[in-house]
Amino acid sequence: MLSLLIRRLVQMVFVMLGISILVFLIFFATPGADPASRIAGRNASPEVVAAVRASFGLDKPLPVQYALMMERLFITRDLTSFVNRGQEVIPEVMEAAPITLSLVGGAAVFWIVGSIAIGIVAAATKGSLLDRILMVLGLIGISMPVYWLGEMVNLITQNRLHDTWLFAWVPPLGYTPLTEDPWTWFKTLLFPWLTLATLYIGLYGRVLRANLVEASHEDYIRTARSKGLSESRILLRHALRTSLIAFVTLFGLDFGALVGGSALLTEVVFALQGVGKLTYDALQNLDLPVIMATVMYASFFVVLANALVDIAYATLDPRVRLA
Amino acid sequence: MTRTTWLMGAVAAAGLMAASLQPAAAQDHRGGIMRLLSQSAGGSLDPKINYTLQYWTMYQYVYDGLVTFKHAAGSEGFTIVPDLAEEMPTPQDGGKTYVFKIRKGIKFADGRELTVKDVVASFQRIFKVSTPTAGSFYNGIVGADACLKTPATCTLDGGVVADEAANTVTIHLVAPDAEFFDKLAVPHGVILPADTPAKDMGSTPIVGTGAYMFAAYDPNKQLKAVRNPYFKEWSKDAQPDGYPDEVHYDFGLTQEAQITAIENGQADWTLDQPPPDRLAEIGSKYKSQVHINTLTAMWYAPMNVNIPPFNNIKARQAVNFAIDRNATVKLFGGKVLAQPACQVLPPGFPGYEPYCPYTKNPGTKWTAPDLAKARELVKESGTAGQKVTIIVQDLTVDRSIGTYLQSVLKAIGYDASVKALSQNIQFTYIQNTNNKVQISVSQWYQDYPAASDFLNVLLGCGTFHPGSDNSPNIAGFCDKDIQAKMDAALALGVTDPAAANKQWAVIDKLTTDQSPVAVLFTPKYIDFLSKRVKNYVFNAQYYWQHTASWIQ
Amino acid sequence: MTDLPVTTEVGQGAAAQERPALGPWARALRKLVADRAAMGALGLFVLIVLACLAAPLYATYVANTDPFTSNIDGTTMVDGQSVALIEPSTEGLGLGSVPLGPTWDIRNYFLGADAQGRDVASRLLYGGRNSLLIAGTSTILCLVLAALTGLIAGFFGGMIDIVISRLLDVLWAFPIYLLAISLSIVLITKGFDIGPISITSGSLELPIFIIGIVYVPYVARPIRGQVLALKESEFVLAAIGLGVPSYRILFRDILPNVMTTLIVFVPLMVAINMLTESALSFLSIGVQPPDASWGTIIQDGQDLIYTRPMVAIAPGIAIVLSVLALNILGDGVRDALDPRAKLRFR
Repeated sequence: MLSLLIRRLVQMVFVMLGISILVFLIFFATPGADPASRIAGRNASPEVVAAVRASFGLDKPLPVQYALMMERLFITRDLTSFVNRGQEVIPEVMEAAPITLSLVGGAAVFWIVGSIAIGIVAAATKGSLLDRILMVLGLIGISMPVYWLGEMVNLITQNRLHDTWLFAWVPPLGYTPLTEDPWTWFKTLLFPWLTLATLYIGLYGRVLRANLVEASHEDYIRTARSKGLSESRILLRHALRTSLIAFVTLFGLDFGALVGGSALLTEVVFALQGVGKLTYDALQNLDLPVIMATVMYASFFVVLANALVDIAYATLDPRVRLA
Repeated sequence: MTRTTWLMGAVAAAGLMAASLQPAAAQDHRGGIMRLLSQSAGGSLDPKINYTLQYWTMYQYVYDGLVTFKHAAGSEGFTIVPDLAEEMPTPQDGGKTYVFKIRKGIKFADGRELTVKDVVASFQRIFKVSTPTAGSFYNGIVGADACLKTPATCTLDGGVVADEAANTVTIHLVAPDAEFFDKLAVPHGVILPADTPAKDMGSTPIVGTGAYMFAAYDPNKQLKAVRNPYFKEWSKDAQPDGYPDEVHYDFGLTQEAQITAIENGQADWTLDQPPPDRLAEIGSKYKSQVHINTLTAMWYAPMNVNIPPFNNIKARQAVNFAIDRNATVKLFGGKVLAQPACQVLPPGFPGYEPYCPYTKNPGTKWTAPDLAKARELVKESGTAGQKVTIIVQDLTVDRSIGTYLQSVLKAIGYDASVKALSQNIQFTYIQNTNNKVQISVSQWYQDYPAASDFLNVLLGCGTFHPGSDNSPNIAGFCDKDIQAKMDAALALGVTDPAAANKQWAVIDKLTTDQSPVAVLFTPKYIDFLSKRVKNYVFNAQYYWQHTASWIQ
Repeated sequence: MTDLPVTTEVGQGAAAQERPALGPWARALRKLVADRAAMGALGLFVLIVLACLAAPLYATYVANTDPFTSNIDGTTMVDGQSVALIEPSTEGLGLGSVPLGPTWDIRNYFLGADAQGRDVASRLLYGGRNSLLIAGTSTILCLVLAALTGLIAGFFGGMIDIVISRLLDVLWAFPIYLLAISLSIVLITKGFDIGPISITSGSLELPIFIIGIVYVPYVARPIRGQVLALKESEFVLAAIGLGVPSYRILFRDILPNVMTTLIVFVPLMVAINMLTESALSFLSIGVQPPDASWGTIIQDGQDLIYTRPMVAIAPGIAIVLSVLALNILGDGVRDALDPRAKLRFR
């Protein structure tokens, strides 16, 4: 077990190193990305631009710049932005993190509860009209682009039906911290949660149903049935447990990616300044320090989630061979 | 004269009258917190570094220079008045020497008194921290070239000389400069304490002598300004006391959310222009809270005169004839928000004389495009069928204008396409000749009210730096004869500004005829204020004066 | 798989005995055809494709518009009256302007005009061509690359496997949208020039290339897993023992078995790629103007969402219907070929 952990740790470091190098190279390959002129400001004379370039260390060779940036990001932790001079990058990311966490955490609650309910009901009533309807609804949920759904939700709640009793309580777009005003925090996030969860409810509901149905053909279920247990008991007590393994592993991977910033489209549409939005803005601004910090943050969670899921899978399901 | 709506004029006039007739009553309006909004912060707070209008408007009431732009409404705001200097010095030595007598008793926000030492140190700091305009505005000071070469040891010996006994600072120039006072009046020339570190102070506020001081700055959240406890008003024109007790500038909300916040009374004003889909709403339901002012600025399409197809003057003129400026005005927001333009200098600028050759009936005003003439010119130029790429910023209006231009170029015979780049790289991208940009869409706002700020900066040989990201002469235009005329006008401006302006009008016509750029329109600026903000004052140099208004 | 179909005409004699048993592919096809939901979805998808292919016909003959030329000052006839395509607001201060709304007249601005005065319905059809083209082509690219890497990594094992797997790990750990966004931003300004492959910026090949690459690890992993399992099977071991060259084993023995997985992935990846392309175009880093795609039209509609929502609603519905049809078809294909196929949906 220990050797497995160490191996995964080494892999994690390797992967994150690879990603950081990739980001660095992509950045410097972009024309117009040389920040010296933008930092120096418009109408700056060539001497001023040269002075700025030197002060930011941009005249040093690439490997040196890379090493310096990594050192300032991880060791001294005082990396500053190219766009907002003097602003430290790590606190910026740390402030955006709770917003993403609020969005993704709340959505996760909705989609776990929703998909388990749908999956169980559909499997229990397999073949019936209800089962078909639930599956089609799930499919529709998977087929909608999340940003488009968000726009439609905004159209209705912020504009068309905003003045009716149905949606008059919906606050304007933006984020209110939980510590500041919990009730507004909840009201602001309710629709983003539902929008983000829609995709995953459909997906996970179908997966759970498929796994439950498949499990019901397994030998140990047939044994339970022959023992005289009721179908619902079999479903909830025996089949669900094994089906949840796949469910949990899927969830770990998706949640990890979302915490890192994959919910960026939802954040953009609902004007939530989370990590995803921060990354996207940094990419548009070609603010390399912020890009590096956010991409490292995101890949850390993805890689961590991957590792945890693999380990959990290995411990939970003894049939799995470790690659 | 700047054009303003009757609304703004009435309010401003009333405000000015009220202020001058009843100074005692003004006391009643003191107090409150002014809440400003913007989608993002403006970068470094250091006045010697920052080059954004966003913070330049605030520096007006936080810092002072030797001279400054008058805190007045409309184009009165272009007048330069003495600030830390007791009076405007007369030029000596043929315009190469100016002696400033510094006022006594002016205190920084930390209680220290301002001395001539601070003045000298502030000028040295311009070079030490590599102010963007160090090489373009302040290179005329004696000793500046040494400072540009080795900024760290900048002394400006012989350039800025202090006399402690007489309490004066003398500035020696290499050559007379008609725009000298303008350059001192912009925030890059403000006076800071001598012990301010010689590096970009970023988010750490620096104390100033203005009516307010910066208390805190978090570029992700808020910029806070409060009253300067040591401030005593010495000149109403240069640094008036303000009404609100504090100014809070919040960052992060989207444009849509900002408009909603102002409508709901949760904020007072936003820097960002309203998104196009809210214009009709605020123009009708909230029209009493809307103020529209013409800017001395332009939206234009510079054409690279050094590479095909626009190295051919007929091709460039064809583009100018083909563009339907009414369509671009519509895309910007309508007739109320913009006015078609053909020439480089904007209306209301010194040296402006209406002139438009690129319309169906050439004369002084643009009326309609002339597609037939444009197609003819393209044929004559022999450039028909060539590939042209238009580079625009990826903001809504820019992109829509770019898409429209692509249609126009196709209609007159080019194989045109559009490319949208992030607004953060587009401006440097189109300046660098290595990127071989043929035509782009850009904007230019004045630094200060001088014709050279448009003509010499955008079309002068000296600002064309091939292969550099900083080459504001995007068109790459350099005509020896016209340059000679510009140099002559600059020199003439030292002694006879009126005659110089007439020269600039001639230069304006000449450059417009050469068609290195296609000017689209003169934009107007919308100030959308909340219900409780009263006494709106719009200054042509720095726009809405935050602290000249009070909160009901 | 299902049992051999039993002929009921026992007394057919020679003719019945000569009828060959159906092979696995034919059996799968039969099963798919019998699946009514899948056939319905296929029908819907084909309908959408045909409508989009007919875009030039619609624009020229029915709607009489040029969906790529700006028409800001233009007018059109509605109910016998001439109306401006972009109507400046007349209320209050007269700020802003509103494009023409849906006329519900199939021959004239059916879904209204967009902010440049162009016909939304025509652009919707043209946009569909690009969206479908990009989704389809990037899927082919993705599956080819994934098959290659999966086969090579799984079959040769050792160092090759380790290197390829780690590269795929790095590619996969880089959050998809971030990778796509970074690549888009770079390549859009510069274009792509490696050896014989040269893609000019602003062409459709860029989004195809980016989307094709980003999902390779997702498909390559199951393929590799399958190849690893197949490597231990008797017929492969026998082939190796006989001295058959590796490439022959790969393409003659292993690839056909892996084909099933690849085919099941096809409708799934087309759906995923369509959604990814629309997201990238929505962020302005996918399809570039003047080309349109359903994602760019939703972007156009974003600024008109409160005044002319149809510009954003229509392409969204088009995407939902296409992706839904593909998902249902994908289910049917999977049921027909291998109901036990374990694929991670995403």
